[in-house]
Amino acid sequence: MGGESKYEIAQNAYMKIVLHALKHKSSAVNAVLLGRVSPTNDVVEITDSVPLFHSHLGLLPQLEISLILIEEHYAAKGVNIVGYFHANERFDDYELSGVAKNVGDHIYRYFPQAAILLLDNKKLEALPKGKDRSPVMQLYTRDSSKNWKLAGGEGSSQLTIKEPAANAVLLDYISTEKWQDVVDFDDHLDDISKDWLNPELFK
Amino acid sequence: MVSKTEETQLSNLETQVDNGGGGAWEYLSLVRKLKVRRSDRVLKHGLSILNDPKKRSSLGPDEWTLYEQVAVAAMDCQSLDVAKDCIKVLQKKFPESKRVGRLEGMLLEAKGAWAEAEKAYSSLLEDNPLDQVIHKRRVAMSKAQGNVSVAIEWLNKYLEIFMADHDAWRELAEIYVSLQMYKQAAFCYEELILSQPMVPLFHLAYADKTKKPLLGNLFSTVLKLLTCYDSNLSTKWRTSYANEL
Repeated sequence: MGGESKYEIAQNAYMKIVLHALKHKSSAVNAVLLGRVSPTNDVVEITDSVPLFHSHLGLLPQLEISLILIEEHYAAKGVNIVGYFHANERFDDYELSGVAKNVGDHIYRYFPQAAILLLDNKKLEALPKGKDRSPVMQLYTRDSSKNWKLAGGEGSSQLTIKEPAANAVLLDYISTEKWQDVVDFDDHLDDISKDWLNPELFK
Repeated sequence: MVSKTEETQLSNLETQVDNGGGGAWEYLSLVRKLKVRRSDRVLKHGLSILNDPKKRSSLGPDEWTLYEQVAVAAMDCQSLDVAKDCIKVLQKKFPESKRVGRLEGMLLEAKGAWAEAEKAYSSLLEDNPLDQVIHKRRVAMSKAQGNVSVAIEWLNKYLEIFMADHDAWRELAEIYVSLQMYKQAAFCYEELILSQPMVPLFHLAYADKTKKPLLGNLFSTVLKLLTCYDSNLSTKWRTSYANEL
């Protein structure tokens, strides 16, 4: 597996996790990334995401249940878990927490091109001002020494959004407070009538 | 911790006020009572009351409570000018007040002036060493600066004095979980269960923290105990219990 893998995230998957992070501004949140490797050009396509929790992220029982349910649902469509998204509690915290690394390692065991995405709060804050088309998150991949390494520098193209106007659509949703409608696994476990698939979110 | 009925009541009032149906004061009082964090709405609706002289005078002595509530909400939303104005009004009315002094300390915190905030809190604590809120503000400050170990130290010192503060125990447990120190987190919940054995949430959280392959039995025992005395156990835990069997 030489060279660095490229990752492409679909607009809906991207917006879902950012909106989820905005819904729970004062806590850490996480999400799981689903997708497949493109047979044509070996790019990892992140086609969907499922927001997981906004409290007690480090606890095992709920993580286990959620991963089992998610895997079962998506395996039928030929989509697997390709990565993990994490947003830290504090604005200026850019450290990859132990929880994120552990989940990342676990996903890596089944999918060697696994990625961890960390929400970049400063970029998110600057979104309304600039015309930045790059995703508001940092990409971490696993290197040969089993550590999670930050990918590329400024303007690196390792992580791109499939639809170039995604940030504009995201800004639109933010201004209409669309995040209220995002349902994560925590919400689902409290009230099972809430669907963690968020089927109506972007209709 | 908010119950389901209170949660529905709150969201009903919220939609009512958001759509211009009045009831702002009831909403703000409910937020205060339940201690939930709805700073953007509190700021919006609180200011609409305070900026209207007629509505303001109809509040009577509650006006000052509202100023305090709006000041804190403004700080949470980073509207520091609004916060400063509210605090100035309160200072004029209540000079030499410790409660207002606390708000000033919080404003320094919101600005990011950690050293000055620390000085302000220390001097307030000199006059009043048993002020719980200020102790907790110090913990919050170290957490905000990223010094989690210092936060843990302060919080432990605080809990040695104020052992009955359940929210503090829960906060400490959450900090431990974020650092993956599960044993210590479990200890916090043990304390909570001892003091309040009738709250199912603590048992559930405790079960969560003890779930490790070796302690699997403990987990199912705790869940069995719970299903015995709360038949309205939500799905989350029934699934967990089923998994364990």
